[in-house]
Amino acid sequence: MIETDIIVVGAGPAGSSAAKHAALGGAKVILMDKKSEIGAPKRCAEGVSIEGLEKLGIEPNPRWVTKKIEGVRLQTPDGTDVWLTEDQVKLPEAGYILERKVFDKHMAMDAARAGAEIRIKTLVTGIDKIDNGFIVETESMGKEETFKCKILIAADGPEGHIARWAGLRPAAKAKEMESGVQYEMCNVEFEKPGVIEFYLGSCAPGGYVWIFPKGDDIANVGLAILPHKAEKTAIEYLDDFVAKSPYLKNAQAVEINVGGDPVGGMSKKLYDDNILVCGDAAGQVNPLTGGGIISGMTGGMCAGKVAAQAIKEDCSKKYLKLYDEMAHEELDHDIKRYKKVQEYLLTLDDDELNSLAHAFEGESFEKISTTEIVKKVIKVSPKALLKLGKFV
Amino acid sequence: MIVKEWCSFCGECAGVCPRNLIQVREYALIFKEDECKDCDTCIKACPINALEKED
Repeated sequence: MIETDIIVVGAGPAGSSAAKHAALGGAKVILMDKKSEIGAPKRCAEGVSIEGLEKLGIEPNPRWVTKKIEGVRLQTPDGTDVWLTEDQVKLPEAGYILERKVFDKHMAMDAARAGAEIRIKTLVTGIDKIDNGFIVETESMGKEETFKCKILIAADGPEGHIARWAGLRPAAKAKEMESGVQYEMCNVEFEKPGVIEFYLGSCAPGGYVWIFPKGDDIANVGLAILPHKAEKTAIEYLDDFVAKSPYLKNAQAVEINVGGDPVGGMSKKLYDDNILVCGDAAGQVNPLTGGGIISGMTGGMCAGKVAAQAIKEDCSKKYLKLYDEMAHEELDHDIKRYKKVQEYLLTLDDDELNSLAHAFEGESFEKISTTEIVKKVIKVSPKALLKLGKFV
Repeated sequence: MIVKEWCSFCGECAGVCPRNLIQVREYALIFKEDECKDCDTCIKACPINALEKED
């Protein structure tokens, strides 16, 4: 049996962040991932905010930054565009489009350089709670091994079993799990370079379509839907969109990515005796955009720091509650705010989305006041305003 | 459950299974079919139609 202080399951950004900070805190850490290549296949549109990276102390690296985001385009079902570009408005969040296959490996390497041991192609097949720790059973290329740790950190994604095996609730109920699919395409045409595009409405029920540029003619073109609001599967909606979009008439897919995204908000309880949950497994995801890189890494950082200190002091839930408090303090405000916006948008039909876009088409968002926004919404769609009132 | 050859093993099905009956390996799905209540949640959630109920 191999003994260690902390085992982190899942070497995505959240898990690597947890492993890195736990190792920096002096703990003996093993980071495990079932995949043979960390970061692949990606399950992500790859957008990340510059501010988020700065807060985590991560320097942008040209090896994993593919494109700087210069603005946002929102398009409603009738083709009305609302542009939020840097020349018109000071964007609240500038960002990058990453190359996740490289980024995730770099984050795992950071964890390794901090002292964590990495085990790839290692699947956790079961866990057993023991006094002051967990027994973790694994399988790696036909070899079964048993580990013993004082703290287990579950960063095993939305499909992860670790938290559920430990008796904690999954991050999202089935109704709150988006079903996503994406092509990485070339020969994509852009109206404005460096602008991330969102297409709202019935083209993606419960979610949206995105086109995120990764190069001069390269983009991630994908969508996420809520299956209970949809009549078809995600890939059928995406193929319809691609077939109709004038910007994609010559586009060719060179990769397909598939995956779920828990958009129900952060789990209420992220800890128990000797266990912490972070990343997508904990619902540390922006419910509006589905983005979870920065929030997951923030959760991972909190988990790693608390776990390292707990090894020196107390691994019971009494101490580990500190992680729950830290993670909720860091992430709750944004997650709850975006959840309200998501819930509001879900109530709007195509006509209401179109009306709202007409009201703000060509508007200078830097100059418009809240009162003017309300006046415009009343004028174009009183129903949309009434719905908005419920969420404010 | 029939897993079609184009399954990407993304884990969406495992994430939505209300009974936690699906384990995702790198290139395999393991179903505990004897405990399945045929709710079809996993089939509906699959983004690429890769799951089909066995007759």
